Amino acid sequence: MSDILSKLSDCIEFGKINLASPFPPQMKEQEGADELTAKALAQGINPQDVLTQGLMPGMERVGVKFRENKVFVPQVLMSAKAMGTAMLHLKPHFLSGAAKQKGTFIIGTVLGDLHDIGKNLVAMMVEGSGYKVIDLGTDVDAAKFIAALRENPGAVVGLSALLTTTMVNMEKITQEIKQALPDTLVTIGGAPVNNDFCNKIGADNYSSDPQGVVEFLNTKVA
Amino acid sequence: MSIVKTATELKFHFRDLVIDQDQIIKLLGYSSDCLPEPFGSYLNETIRDCSHLEDIRGTYQIIEDVELVARRSSILANHLEFKVGKTIRKELEGAEKLAFFVSTAGSTLSEKAVALLGGEDPVLGYVYDILGGAIAEAVGDKLQQLIRQRVKKDGCNITNRYSPGYCHWDVSDQYKLFRLLGGSPSGVSLTPSSLMNPVKSISGVIGIGKDVHFREYQCDLCQMKNCFYKK
Repeated sequence: MSDILSKLSDCIEFGKINLASPFPPQMKEQEGADELTAKALAQGINPQDVLTQGLMPGMERVGVKFRENKVFVPQVLMSAKAMGTAMLHLKPHFLSGAAKQKGTFIIGTVLGDLHDIGKNLVAMMVEGSGYKVIDLGTDVDAAKFIAALRENPGAVVGLSALLTTTMVNMEKITQEIKQALPDTLVTIGGAPVNNDFCNKIGADNYSSDPQGVVEFLNTKVA
Repeated sequence: MSIVKTATELKFHFRDLVIDQDQIIKLLGYSSDCLPEPFGSYLNETIRDCSHLEDIRGTYQIIEDVELVARRSSILANHLEFKVGKTIRKELEGAEKLAFFVSTAGSTLSEKAVALLGGEDPVLGYVYDILGGAIAEAVGDKLQQLIRQRVKKDGCNITNRYSPGYCHWDVSDQYKLFRLLGGSPSGVSLTPSSLMNPVKSISGVIGIGKDVHFREYQCDLCQMKNCFYKK
């Protein structure tokens, strides 16, 4: 891997957004994801390589560290911000077809639940792992998920819930999605749910952390 | 239905509230002796900003016409049935009165947190979000203290507070709870799916009676295995 892509990975891993960003302290006054992505593309590095060899490995390392409680939500958000900044440079290449995303992931917090930090983390991590993410927000009903699926055939759905009482809505939404579009893969997550609940409601995967969702997608989609 | 007395609505200043800054830092994933930039600056910025908030409020109403129905795992207040579930009903055992409440960090902070999280600075938004949750809980603590003082003269104790959405108490009961508090307590309204707006708000019930108990530790009531607060 070229030196610049390796540095780019570090920027994503440690949440170094740009030269002006003081975070992380050990990378102060160094170029960040913003400058390095622009530089890599200007040097003629293939946009797909920038994504898969520069950005994605950094995001994967963050996902693993988050799973292992070595980093916490703010650092993941910093990494996601660095990733988002880099992705702005890649966007024209996605549109032109010079860089391709692995698939589409539709995510939302289920009807009756407004908690969105966990859902946002999953969305950021999945996007940083090379997928197109459609975030439907919070308090989302089955009809909205199904409409998004019809617009994006083959997309995988992620359902999030934090309240014990909205688990019942997760079940209804999963069943309505499966009834309308039987081939759709549904992955669930959130504090009150677990693998047994996943099996009970007929979902395809339960992940206790964002990296688990990425791994599920990489197995089933990529 | 019995006549509903007017609920007590109170306004709070940020400086009146007891917010454990170490706990906020811990929620951010750090310890107070090791908070790297920009998180330290962000926290100071949000605390400074919150000291100007004018819409931190709380409302409560003590209902005397109550009944605890063991076979239905529910409680009745002014003839409205709340299906609180077995766990909460048991915790309210012995309650002669029930206090229903809503507390909120207000729309200013809630809207700021949501906008930042979804846009220009999710990290700053996260700090606002954490602080907003802490403010709503701190207002809940204040209301709890006030209720405790108010009933003490009658020789009564209070229970902990319990909220719809937890321990299998369905959030759809929020509409009845809000009805007891006059519809839109402290400026908090409900979405069609019974969620509160502003987001950084809490609601719930507190049992009052001579034979009720306050638990110092209640994490064993909840099934959330990965909750940060779990001791």
